[in-house]
Amino acid sequence: MNTLCQGEMLIDTENDIVMARKSVREAAVTLGFGVTDVTRIVTAASELTRNIYVYAGSGIMRWHSINDSNVGLELVFEDKGPGIIDVKLAMEPGYSTGKGLGMGLPGTKRLMDEMDVLSEIGKGTTIRIRKWLRQ
Amino acid sequence: MPNGTVSVIKIRDILLVTVPSDPDDITVSELQEQVLYAMERHSAKGLILDISTVETVDSFFARTISETVKMVALMGGLSVLSGMRACVAVTTTQLGLTFEQTLTALDVDRAMDMLSVAMDDKGDSA
Repeated sequence: MNTLCQGEMLIDTENDIVMARKSVREAAVTLGFGVTDVTRIVTAASELTRNIYVYAGSGIMRWHSINDSNVGLELVFEDKGPGIIDVKLAMEPGYSTGKGLGMGLPGTKRLMDEMDVLSEIGKGTTIRIRKWLRQ
Repeated sequence: MPNGTVSVIKIRDILLVTVPSDPDDITVSELQEQVLYAMERHSAKGLILDISTVETVDSFFARTISETVKMVALMGGLSVLSGMRACVAVTTTQLGLTFEQTLTALDVDRAMDMLSVAMDDKGDSA
């Protein structure tokens, strides 16, 4: 039961964002999330995979269910892109270095229960998000 | 409707555009252009963007829709965003998207009513 669902996919083209949404939706529905939480998780995945595509060019999305004392879904987004200069600033609503709205990271954090951002300039970024299944 | 297909139907002076359920970025960008040229071609006065089958609205989609509404306004048209699902309303608001200055309706019927009233008012004052 510890690996109820897991997977990974390469994010390399614009269409991979759609494929990522499909995979994440399937995983979240399989785990038993309600329709609103499924939408939250899929939207978060859409934001973060687009970030990979726009800022890093390519990267990897991994997902797996957590089945300890708490049941949930963890998604990890990893790229070897330019990195985020100031993670704290990037988490502020309205801040954007690109063509975005500056909603992506702070918005994603609001949609999820937990979010960790690890980034190193010139090395890349790893973002881990989690949603717990309430029962 | 196959994914990636945007349906544009003209009803009197109104364009009814149905957005596919899970469009990729290219489809969303093309939708914007398609809508603007259809407004021009049909001399339409109003636009209904029906998103009742759309399950995920992220910041890219929201920005493109908001922009389209502004562009249509520049062309003298009035837009109504119709059919946003409950789960999408919750998610877009928490994500921080506001859809400011965008008229919304629960479904296409009500959007038609809103546009008819607004267009009649415009006609009276002219």
